Amino acid sequence: MGIEGLGINYSAILPEIILALTGVALMLMEAFWPSRSKRRAGLVTLAGLGIALMATLQLWGAPRQTAYAGMVIIDDFRLLFTAIVIIASVLAVFLSWNFLEEERIQPTAYFALLLFCAVGMALLTSSHDLIMVFLGIETVTISTYVLAGYRRNDLRSTEAALKYFILGAFSSAFLLYGIALVYGATHTTNLSAIQAALNQPLGEAERALMMVGAAMLLIGFGFKVTAVPFHVWTPDVYEGAPTPVTAFLSVGPKAAGFAAFLRVSSLIFGADFDLASAGRALQSDWISALAVMAILTMTFGNLIAIAQTNIKRMLAYSSIAHAGYVLMGIVARDWQAVAFYMIAYTVMNIGAFAVVALIARRGDEHVLIEDYSGLGFRQPTLSFPLTVFLISLTGIPGTAGFVGKFWLFKSAWEAGFSMLVIIAVINTVISAYYYLYVVIVMFFREAKREIEPVPLPGAFGFTLAVTVLGTFYLGLLPTRVFYYLNQAQTAIAHLIH
Amino acid sequence: MEFVIHHLLTVIVFTPTVGAVILLLHRLFGGKSEALMRWIALWVAVITFILSLPLIAGFDRLHPGMQFVERVPWIRSFGLNVDYYLGIDGLSLWLIILTTVLTVVSILSGWRAIEHHVREFLIFMLLLETGVLGVFVSLDMFLFYLFWEIMLVPMYFLIGVWGAERRIYAAIKFIIYTMAGSVLMLVAIISLYYLHEQATGQPTFDLVRITENLKTGVLQLDPRVEFWLFLGFALAFFVKVPLFPLHTWLPDAHVEAPTAGSVMLAGVLLKMGTYGLLRFNLPMFPHAAAELTMPICVLAIIGIIYGALVAMVQPDLKKLVAYSSVSHMGFVVLGTFAHTEQALHGAIFQMLSHGLATGGLFLAVGVIYERRHTRLIAEFGGLGQSMPVYTGMVGILALASIGLPLLSGFVGEFLVLVGTFTSPIEHAHAFTVLAATGMILSAAYILWMFQRVFFGEIKHPENAALPDVNGREKAMLLPAVALVIVLGVVPNWFMRKMDMTVLALERRMAGVAELHQPRRDFSNQRVSASTTIVNGQSETEEVTADGNRRLGN
Repeated sequence: MGIEGLGINYSAILPEIILALTGVALMLMEAFWPSRSKRRAGLVTLAGLGIALMATLQLWGAPRQTAYAGMVIIDDFRLLFTAIVIIASVLAVFLSWNFLEEERIQPTAYFALLLFCAVGMALLTSSHDLIMVFLGIETVTISTYVLAGYRRNDLRSTEAALKYFILGAFSSAFLLYGIALVYGATHTTNLSAIQAALNQPLGEAERALMMVGAAMLLIGFGFKVTAVPFHVWTPDVYEGAPTPVTAFLSVGPKAAGFAAFLRVSSLIFGADFDLASAGRALQSDWISALAVMAILTMTFGNLIAIAQTNIKRMLAYSSIAHAGYVLMGIVARDWQAVAFYMIAYTVMNIGAFAVVALIARRGDEHVLIEDYSGLGFRQPTLSFPLTVFLISLTGIPGTAGFVGKFWLFKSAWEAGFSMLVIIAVINTVISAYYYLYVVIVMFFREAKREIEPVPLPGAFGFTLAVTVLGTFYLGLLPTRVFYYLNQAQTAIAHLIH
Repeated sequence: MEFVIHHLLTVIVFTPTVGAVILLLHRLFGGKSEALMRWIALWVAVITFILSLPLIAGFDRLHPGMQFVERVPWIRSFGLNVDYYLGIDGLSLWLIILTTVLTVVSILSGWRAIEHHVREFLIFMLLLETGVLGVFVSLDMFLFYLFWEIMLVPMYFLIGVWGAERRIYAAIKFIIYTMAGSVLMLVAIISLYYLHEQATGQPTFDLVRITENLKTGVLQLDPRVEFWLFLGFALAFFVKVPLFPLHTWLPDAHVEAPTAGSVMLAGVLLKMGTYGLLRFNLPMFPHAAAELTMPICVLAIIGIIYGALVAMVQPDLKKLVAYSSVSHMGFVVLGTFAHTEQALHGAIFQMLSHGLATGGLFLAVGVIYERRHTRLIAEFGGLGQSMPVYTGMVGILALASIGLPLLSGFVGEFLVLVGTFTSPIEHAHAFTVLAATGMILSAAYILWMFQRVFFGEIKHPENAALPDVNGREKAMLLPAVALVIVLGVVPNWFMRKMDMTVLALERRMAGVAELHQPRRDFSNQRVSASTTIVNGQSETEEVTADGNRRLGN
C-alpha cells in the first residue's frame, strides 16, 4: 500500500491537530518563558479551543468521507459532537480560572492536560475504527486521571485519581479484549467492514467470539459512560476530584464516550441485516442488553441519588441517571436526540457545577447539601441560577432538560420501546424529589450557621450567564438547533437508518 | 392597540409575566419599597383582569369553535411540530375570568400577611397566574403541558417559603403527587402524537385537529389503546381535581399554604383538573370514558360523602374548607361523567361557583388568622358581635357553598343532580340520591362551623376587641361575595356562553354506543331526543371544521 492508500487528509483531523499543537505550544512556552500567570496560559488555551471550534464548524456540510485508511470519519455527526466537547472544554477553562489561583496550581500543565483530553475526545467522536476508539478513550482517560488527582495534598483527590486509574485501566482492558475478539471473528477493526462481515452467516466459532466480543465492548463502553452496573467508580471520582474537573468529567468525556458508543452501536448493530446473517441474531441481543442497561442505569442512579448528603455525590448519581436516559437514545438509534440531549446536559450540568464549585470554595470545604441552607434569598445570584439548572435537570418544561428528554422519550416510543419510556417518566418523578430537595434547603430553610457571602468572580458570572441563557434558549426556542440537527441527519440518513 | 386586539389572549397570559419582570428590574435598580412592589403587582393583576373583560363582550355564544384564536409556528423540525396555538371556547372563557379575579384578591390577601421576601412572593403569584391562564388557553398539547408543569414551580415556592410549619412536607407532597400524575400524561401526549402522525401523516400536537380527527374517524384508536390513553390523561387530572383516593396531598397543601396560595389552589388550580377532563378525556376518548363511567362516578360519590364527613370533624377552619373542596369537586366529576347536558352545564358552573365560594372562604379564614394567629374553631365564638360586616360576608359565602337557592352553589349542584338523575348511566338514581346527601352534609358542617365561630357569647375575651374588616379586606372579600350572588341570580347569563361547547360535548358522548344500552324506556327517549338535536345542528357543525374567528374580524 502506497502512501496515497493511507488516505492522509490533514483537513479531516484539523481540529485535533490544532488542539494538540496548542497543548504542545503551552508546554514549550512554559519551558522557555516560564510564568505563573494563569491569564497567559488560559488565553492561549481559549484561543486554541476557539480556533479548533472554527475549524470544526468550517467543515460543516462537507461530504461524508473517511480518511487514514478508514480510521477517521468526517460527517456532520462527528462535527457536532466535536463542537460539543470543545464547548464543554471552553466552559471548563472558565470554571478552572479561580480554582487554579486558590490552589496555587501551575496553570500551564493543567491547561495542557485539558487540551490533550480534548484531542482524545475529538478523536473519539471521529473514530471509524475500533482501534481509533481505543486510542481516543485512552487519550481522554490518561489526561483525566491526572486532572482528577490535581489537588495533590488532598487525600480525597488522590484517592479519586487512584480509584479512577485502577478501574479505568480495568475497563480499558475489557474494551481492548472485546476489540481483539471482534477482530478474531471478523478479521477487521473497521466499523463498516465489521458490519459487512456480520452480514454473512459466520461459522459457529466466529459467532461465539463475536458474542463475547460484543459483550466486552458493552462493558468497556458501560464503564466510560457510567452505565449501571459499571458505574461504581463514578461517585468516588466525582466527589474527590476538584469541582471544576468534576464538571468537565461529567460532560466532556461523557459526550465523547456516547458519540463513540452510538457510532459503534449504530454502525455495527444498526444495519438491516440479512435474515440468515450473524448480525441479525446479535442485533436483538445487543438492543435488549442496552435497554436493560438503560433501565438499570436510570433507576439505580435516581434511587441512590435520593440518599446523598454531599451535593457532588448527588450530582454524580444524577449524572449516572442521565446516562440512562441517553442510553434510551442509543437503543432507539436516534443520534439527533442523543446529540441534543448532550448539548442540553452540558449546558445545565456545567452551570450546576459552576455554582457548586463557587460555594465549595477552597479545598472543597462546603459540599454538603446542608451547607446550602438559607442560601436562597441571601445570595440570589447563585441560588436562582442553581434552581434553574436543577429544574432543567428534573425536566420541567420551558428548560433545555425538558426538550431533551421529550425528544428521547419520543424517539424511544416511536422505536417501539414503550415500557422503557414509562419507566423513564417514573424516574423523572423520582429525580424531582432529590433535585427539588436542594431547592428546599436553599429557600425553605434558615441558615444553620453564618457563612459569609461568596464573591462571584467574572469568569463564573460569565459561565452562569451563558448557561442560564442557554438552558432557556434550548428549552423555549430550540428550532434553530433542531434545524442543524435535521440538516446533519439528512446528510447521513442513509447510514444510520 | 391593534396588537392587543389581535393578540388578546397572548396579552392576557403574559401581562403578569411582564409584571414579574418589572418587579425584578425594580430590584436590579435597587428599589426597596415594599409598598411600591405591592402596588405594582396589584395593578398588574387588575390590568390583567380588565384585559380579560373584552373576552366576555367579544365572545360569540353561537359560534361552536374556538375563538380569539392565535396561531404561529413555534418549534419546527421534521420530528417535532409545535405551534403556539391559543384559543378559547365556552369551557375556558369563565375560567379565565375566574383566574384573573382571584389573582387580584389573592394579592390583596397577602398585603399584610406576607412580611418577608415580599418581592419574590409577588413575582411567584404573577408567574402562577401566567401558568394557569396558559393552561386554559393552550390548544397545542405541547404548549398545554408546558404551562401545566411550569405552574408547579411558583406554587411549590408559595407553599414552601411562605407556608406554615409543615410547609416543606406539604410542598414536596404537592409536587411529587402532581408530577407523578402528569408525566404519564406526557407519555399519552407523545403516543397520541405518534398515532396521529401514523394515521394521517401530519405530525401535530394541535388538540382541536386531533379531537376532530378522532371524532370523524380519520384517526381510529384500538379500544385498548384508547383505554390506556384515557387513563394516562385522566390520572393527571384526577390528582389535580382531586378525586378520592388521590386527594391526600390537598389538605396538607391547603393548610400549609399562605392564604393567597390556598385561594389560588382551591379557586383555580383544582379547576385545571376538571378542565382537562372536559377538554381531553371526554371529546377524545368517549368510548373509554363511557366504559369507565361507573368506577369514576363511584369514586366521585365516595369523595363527596367522605369529604363532607371528614370536614365535619375538623377542628381547624382551613382544614374544614379544604375537605369541603374534596366534596364539592366530587360534584364536578360526577357531572362530567353523567353525560347529560344539564350535568355538564352544572359541572362547569360548579367549577366557577366552587372557585368563588371556597376561594372566598379561604380569604375569610385568612382574615381572622391574621388577627388571632389561630384557625381553631374552638378559639372563636361570638364573632358576630365584634365583627358584624365580616360575619355577613362570610355568611353569604358559606350559604353559597352549601347551595342555598339564589346563590351560585345551588345552581351548579342542582344541575348536576338533575343531570345525573336523567342520565343514561346505570344506577343513575342511586347516584343522585347519594350525591344529594353530600349537599345535606355540607349544610351540616358549614352551618355548625358558622354557629360555633360567629354565634353565641364571646368565650375568649380577646375576640371581643377584634376589629371588623377594614377597607382592604372588604375589597378582597367583596368580589367573591358579589359574584356568588350574581351567579346565583342570573345563572343563564353565564351559562348561555357555554351552550355550544356543552352541546358539542354532550353530542359526542351521545354518539357512543356504550352509553346506548337500553335499560329503561326513559333513557331511550332521552337519547333519541338528543339525536334529533344532532341533525338540527348539522349546519353549525360545518362552520366548526374550518371556522376559528377572532375579535375584530
